[in-house]
Amino acid sequence: MTEREYDVVIIGSGAGGGTVAKELAPLAKSGARIAVLEWGPRFREEEFTGREIEMAARLYHEGGGVLTKDGAMTLAFGKAYGGSTVVYTGTSLVVRPDTVARWGVKGLDHADLARRSAKYMAENNVHLIPEEDQNENNRLFRDACRRLSWRVEQFPVNVKGCRGSGLCNLGCPNAAKQGTHRVQLPQAESAGVEVITNCKVERIEDRAVLARVAPCRFGFPSAWEPGEHRVKARFVVVCGGAVNTCALLLRSNLPARLPVLGKWLTTHPALILVAEHPRPITNFHGHPKSYYCDHFTESRRFLLETCMYFPFMTAKSMCGFGAPHEAMMRRFDRLQMILSLAIDPAREHNAVGINAAGEPVVDYTLADDVLNSLLESMRAAARIFFEAGAVRVHAPATERFAIERADRERIDDLVVRKWLRPGRVSISAAHLMGGARMGAGPDDSVTNEWGEVHGLPWLFVGDSALFPRCAEINPYLTIMALADRVAERVTRRLSAPGGR
Amino acid sequence: MNERLFLAVAGRIVPGVGSLDAAGRQAFLALVREFMESKPPALRRQIDLFLSLIRWLPLARHLRPFEALSPERQDAVLLGFQESRLLLLRRGFWGLKALAFMGYYGRPVAAAAVGWRPEREGNRRLHP
Repeated sequence: MTEREYDVVIIGSGAGGGTVAKELAPLAKSGARIAVLEWGPRFREEEFTGREIEMAARLYHEGGGVLTKDGAMTLAFGKAYGGSTVVYTGTSLVVRPDTVARWGVKGLDHADLARRSAKYMAENNVHLIPEEDQNENNRLFRDACRRLSWRVEQFPVNVKGCRGSGLCNLGCPNAAKQGTHRVQLPQAESAGVEVITNCKVERIEDRAVLARVAPCRFGFPSAWEPGEHRVKARFVVVCGGAVNTCALLLRSNLPARLPVLGKWLTTHPALILVAEHPRPITNFHGHPKSYYCDHFTESRRFLLETCMYFPFMTAKSMCGFGAPHEAMMRRFDRLQMILSLAIDPAREHNAVGINAAGEPVVDYTLADDVLNSLLESMRAAARIFFEAGAVRVHAPATERFAIERADRERIDDLVVRKWLRPGRVSISAAHLMGGARMGAGPDDSVTNEWGEVHGLPWLFVGDSALFPRCAEINPYLTIMALADRVAERVTRRLSAPGGR
Repeated sequence: MNERLFLAVAGRIVPGVGSLDAAGRQAFLALVREFMESKPPALRRQIDLFLSLIRWLPLARHLRPFEALSPERQDAVLLGFQESRLLLLRRGFWGLKALAFMGYYGRPVAAAAVGWRPEREGNRRLHP
């Protein structure tokens, strides 16, 4: 086992870890030793092939299909230099004031998060895609929402030189998406922060981590030789994403009382909804995600977003099988897609645990209120599709495969709760939040409002695990804002007399 | 995995599986095999067990295993799993369906055949 020593070890390099690394970079410049340990590889540009199965297997944990304990939902989260920022669509929204108020964390206010979010919007080139570069899949959604008098907004996205490959979720082949792999991590590295890829942290000990570097068939080789490494650090910042952060903390048997560690997980359970138009539309060319409808956020607790997925992902998202399914798939260039997300309440029993091998097990129950939100979202999406001109809509919570246009006035009769059964309908989640929530004390939280783990002043959490409740919007910019706070606190500690 | 049986089930899930030529069938099975090999033995056993269940469950009602049933009856058996009251059976069928879709639509040639032909310069297609 190789022994190493750093001032700060950051575990994970996504929206949280990449941000912390970049914010600590000035310290590295002035001599502090800082390392980022990333489980996934750093891909070469030519390795972003856009081939669905190949890229999903390489970029996501379990190909993007991590199952919850009851097998009723799949979870997608990235594993790469840049974490999930390599595979998201770049949507960058500032968390809403009422959401932060609902979180109810003393010492954490909306103005602070908005200020920090604005910094990353500027840093990561967040802007609106111009009208001429929006495809019909997006514009049909926007126009239909407007005709229905439903509030619809454009997503600001963090791209630079987007050429519209539409492959965001498989890693941009044009290096356009400005995730932490393009912005924060290279900045940190140029200041002297070391990024070690293919490096899985097995356990955290008192001011040290045990990590294992394994060779990988693709990407650049790791900076460290394969094998076990014990890395001492004055401060450890865990940013492995909600699932892996919690699992790592749980299997580390930390010397602190953390009764809610892993608990209060939220996921924004989601459905991919599909409709067919009578003619080909531009759908998979161009950026896939330009608009969202938050008209029902407060009243029905769901969000609708434009999306465009790939053939396998689309096929498995639809309920049913056989000829009708295949017929709709064959008309791929006529398909319009909407992603609906339930704004799920935080519940203590929804939790990340670990199995005997220390690997994460996500126990998440799709409660009735969440399923009802998804049902309502399906009905709303069906109305949007028909308003946009679709000839048939695949709404999974129906008895038949598709609702024909002639039946569009009967949506509420056809899309019913009876058919929305977990396991029958494909439900997935990519916004994993909570499990190491911020709060006042260990009885109801894992960290304080600065991400410092209760009772362990050398250990911080700096990612979406911090969320006390769900973000109610796409969470990446909020993760960066929270990570920015964590980095500020670590900087202060390191800069204090005796800090180094 | 009993690949012959899986092909029979997959052929009802995606009818196109039944008309694959030898090369297409090999490409389909290669993706499925690769997936199976990447999974822990316990999951592989579950998939095998579920396939066996699909094969033998019809015996009680139709006195024949799945692959000896008419296409209509095969569909009815699969529909029974999809609509089952038991989450265990619904999710098992969902998993099998996903495996069939992956093998079929995961082949670049099939993705292109349904019309999905992404281009690095996709925006050019938006303003011809």
